[in-house]
Amino acid sequence: MQRRNFIQQVAALTGTGFLLSQCQTTGQHKIPGRIVGASAKVGHLLRDKKIQGAPQSTTQAEVVIVGAGVSGLSAARHLYKQGVQDFLVLDLEAHAGGNAAAGENNVSRYPWGAHYVPIPNNDLKDYLSFLQECNVVTGYNSEGLPVYNEYHLCFDPEERLYINGSWQEGLVPRNGVPAEDLKQVQRFLDHMHQLRYAEGQDGKDAFAIPVNHSSADEQYTKLDGITMKEWLLQQGYTSEYLHWYCNYCCRDDFGTRYDETAAWAGIHYFAARKGKGANAEHQDVLTWPQGNGWLVEQLQKDYRDKIKLNSLVTSIRPTGGGVEVLYMNVATGQLQAVHAKQCVVAIPQFVAQRMLAPELNRQQLVQQFSYAPWMVANITVQELKERRGEALSWDNVLYNSESLGYVVATHQSIKQREPVKVLTYYLPLTQGDVVTARREAAAMQHEQWVDIILNDLRKVHENIAAAVTNIDVMVWGHGMIRPVKGFIHSDARRLLNKSINDTIFFAHTDLAGISIFEEGFYQGLQAAESVLKARMSG
Amino acid sequence: MQLLLLLAVFVIATCGLIYELVAGTLASYLLGDSVTQFSTIIGVYLFSMGVGSFLSRYFNRNLLRWFIQIELLVGLIGGFSAMLLFIVFPLSASFRIVLYVLVFLTGAGVGLEIPILMRILKDKVEFKELVSRVFTFDYIGALLASLLFPLLLVPYLGLMRTSLFFGMLNIAVGLFLAIKFSREIKRPGVLRAMAIFLILAELVAFVLSNRILSYSETLVYNDRVVFATSSPYQRIVLTRNKKETRLFLNGNLQFSSADEYRYHEALVHPGLQAVRSPKQVLVLGGGDGLAIREILKYSSVDSITLVDLDAAMTKLFTSNSMLVSLNQGSLLDSRVHVINGDAFSWLRDNRRQFDFVVVDFPDPSNFSIGKLYSNTFYKLLYQALKPEGIAVVQSTSPYVAPRSFWCIDETIRSVGFHTAPYHNLVPSFGEWGYILAMKDSVYHAPTVYVPGLRFINVATAQQMFVFPQDMRTTKPLAVNKLNNQALVDYFEEEWSTYLE
Ligand SMILES: Cc1cc2nc3c(=O)[nH]c(=O)nc-3n(C[C@H](O)[C@H](O)[C@H](O)COP(=O)(O)OP(=O)(O)OC[C@H]3O[C@@H](n4cnc5c(N)ncnc54)[C@H](O)[C@@H]3O)c2cc1C
Repeated sequence: MQRRNFIQQVAALTGTGFLLSQCQTTGQHKIPGRIVGASAKVGHLLRDKKIQGAPQSTTQAEVVIVGAGVSGLSAARHLYKQGVQDFLVLDLEAHAGGNAAAGENNVSRYPWGAHYVPIPNNDLKDYLSFLQECNVVTGYNSEGLPVYNEYHLCFDPEERLYINGSWQEGLVPRNGVPAEDLKQVQRFLDHMHQLRYAEGQDGKDAFAIPVNHSSADEQYTKLDGITMKEWLLQQGYTSEYLHWYCNYCCRDDFGTRYDETAAWAGIHYFAARKGKGANAEHQDVLTWPQGNGWLVEQLQKDYRDKIKLNSLVTSIRPTGGGVEVLYMNVATGQLQAVHAKQCVVAIPQFVAQRMLAPELNRQQLVQQFSYAPWMVANITVQELKERRGEALSWDNVLYNSESLGYVVATHQSIKQREPVKVLTYYLPLTQGDVVTARREAAAMQHEQWVDIILNDLRKVHENIAAAVTNIDVMVWGHGMIRPVKGFIHSDARRLLNKSINDTIFFAHTDLAGISIFEEGFYQGLQAAESVLKARMSG
Repeated sequence: MQLLLLLAVFVIATCGLIYELVAGTLASYLLGDSVTQFSTIIGVYLFSMGVGSFLSRYFNRNLLRWFIQIELLVGLIGGFSAMLLFIVFPLSASFRIVLYVLVFLTGAGVGLEIPILMRILKDKVEFKELVSRVFTFDYIGALLASLLFPLLLVPYLGLMRTSLFFGMLNIAVGLFLAIKFSREIKRPGVLRAMAIFLILAELVAFVLSNRILSYSETLVYNDRVVFATSSPYQRIVLTRNKKETRLFLNGNLQFSSADEYRYHEALVHPGLQAVRSPKQVLVLGGGDGLAIREILKYSSVDSITLVDLDAAMTKLFTSNSMLVSLNQGSLLDSRVHVINGDAFSWLRDNRRQFDFVVVDFPDPSNFSIGKLYSNTFYKLLYQALKPEGIAVVQSTSPYVAPRSFWCIDETIRSVGFHTAPYHNLVPSFGEWGYILAMKDSVYHAPTVYVPGLRFINVATAQQMFVFPQDMRTTKPLAVNKLNNQALVDYFEEEWSTYLE
């Protein structure tokens, strides 16, 4: 009798516990917010070939740039700097920036995609001069090292990891990690350090930025033929903590699991960064509340009037002495044409192939381009309850979580207190194959994303559900190029990067094989250089 | 009789569960980690119910009287449990012990009650019936409690009043039974009187619960709390004893009226007296107006700008008569302009230059405040100072935290300032440090000071600039920057070893 009493009491009490936890969490109120970025629908008009008819008007421009992402804006900036005035940038979205676009609410600005850049490698002169122009680099010290603006260098504390019951400083697992594993982790980091300064037979850096400046030495390029996971095992790295860390890094940078990412790309993440500043080291990063949206604003500040938004490009066709670009005003549905001497195509290849004449078996080559789907959420929160350990940092990661954790958009505020914050939550959709993941993501409802997010973050912030006031969600169907085994050193990349008739040029991070700001910057710059060259000779 | 006793079971079950929920919630609230708190508390509670049931075999006579007495005891312990826990919490070492003892006692009481009750009723009801009814009521009570607690009680009554309310209910049942069965128990009058007394005691506590909460704060602060408020930024508490008034922000002592003059004279005069005919003064932090009281002793000063984050602070120090007499109404002076805003942001937008700047922030104990001691901040300070001007920075204790102190010095110098560090003894803080920051390379110690000072004179001021070996450090020091927050690490390390 007493035993039964006992058991039933437990049941009654746990029932109570359950009830209590329900009240604290989602049960009570629906979290406001919405899924933003409906332009995928507009893009699908193109995929489904729904746009036909003749243009209603035709204009002229010297150069047309298709796409106002980092690559397109960088191309436009370079043209502008070189004195080309008559150009037009077209983008289907209502804002420029592409994957580096930003949003804003009454608390803060926040990124929708790209949120930081590491300090640049010192040999990237054009990039450095851009950064100096926008006062991110404030000058150079007596040793010639760039001095970084300390408002833009990520404030301390920068990163923390929730692992084995508490938050530790930094993302490399240490807290509660066995000594044997720690040794392996250290060996790995030393290994990466050594590769950072490695050079190939041709005297080039083994791992460089832009990717295309890297050594062609087989010793290194062969790493493109195996996955990061295979490479780790080959090298005798077996620690599960180290494997988690490498998988995290690959998912973070490429939206791709480490058992799919090429080892060359996985290592590039660690070994390509070799910048040194007067007041910063290679691992230091630059960030802003709106992430790389800040850099996007700087890229376009001189020629904003030349950017035409809400303009979906539907066809790019070489004509006698130039090129004809057709685009649709997504608000009115009107089709328009621009005739230009040259065109820079700064959009992903899987989109570009739909609007270009099928030459060079473009369609077939594009099959080798695979893109990672992502979900990004911006979460407005009140005071959060914290677990033990390191204080709230800029980047907050949960060990063994499906997500990459969150970045605090308000972190770079100099204010002593920011009671309400915006957290940008990143979830690369890397379970299973990308096509299924993309389809499933598109079908998800706002509440379902909210549940996923809250269930994840509840592990570290007990009161997350009560503290959240809004969650907006963005799904990137084709977020970034996936540097899977063999892709970076494939011919597809090189062939699709070739200009058409010296009138149509290509610039996009997918052509680099690695989607980072610097690659976009140089893709644009090089395309603009080619345009200028063509003009000189033409 | 039967129904009444069963109703009693119902109330007991409800109350018992409520006490555990209160204990669990309170422990989660004060200690964090609700999973651990709830499961250990439920575990201890159930175990102690078992202990109670086991002990019930030793009660053989006067069962009904025992039943009522236990009822009263549970009502007493459970009723006051939340209050006791709130009060005990600041004495943190014993908090968990008190918590589990309370949980154990209520659990054992409830565990005793049910078997005793069944034995009281066993001759009156058939066993099958009895078991069925007792447990039905028991579990319905549990359900009721579990529903009421999150939906009504916590939001409307709060934890302390919830436990008191159920304590009273518990005792009321005892009282009712004592009246109803007065013929069946010995000396029912004693029981009745006891019950009434307990109910009254809990009722008083119920009404005064808010004041009692402030008493619990008084325990933290040793002295009587005469004022307490929570602003969006901090908890402001003012305490008083016969000799002095003390101000605490988030539990940290800001000043004691007994010796604050030593701090504020040292903060202001060595710097301000060295500026020739100062006119424009800026005070960052220091919403208590005490530094401004010192600054107003200079007749040449025609404008003082005070930037303090917390409007609650500046308001308190312009309205509370005790505090206004302490700062001599400095914040009400027509030369003073109060700005409630973030100092860093304000300074970043500021284009004015000042003759003298007082930087009086809380110690750099966390990353938010650490920013206000960064080289980036001092660069802005540099721009806000006239060529001949002087700034002074409160710089924590060079005795307790020499690395922190000299790191601040290093950081100030890193942006081009020349510095003159000094220190004095403020009994309620200990040995305290300040740093003068100047664009000019030499500090000309004043040869005369404004009249009416109690601590500073030419001789004492001279000594303040001498640092003995135990206030220095030989360890390497980093410049404190936004992207390394080196100072917060030093500070944490030094103060935690000191306080150990
Ligand atoms: C979730 C996420 C996080 C990221 N985080 C980082 C980071 O922290 N740091 C970093 O360096 N990089 C990050 N990246 C990578 C980022 O993609 C690149 O840095 C860079 O922004 C890519 O620029 P892009 O110009 O090459 O491409 P995109 O940004 O893809 O630009 C293409 C542009 O073309 C437009 N467009 C497409 N089709 C058409 C059409 N038919 N007509 C008109 N316009 C069209 C698009 O609207 C878009 O504006 C992240 C990416 C994602 C998805």
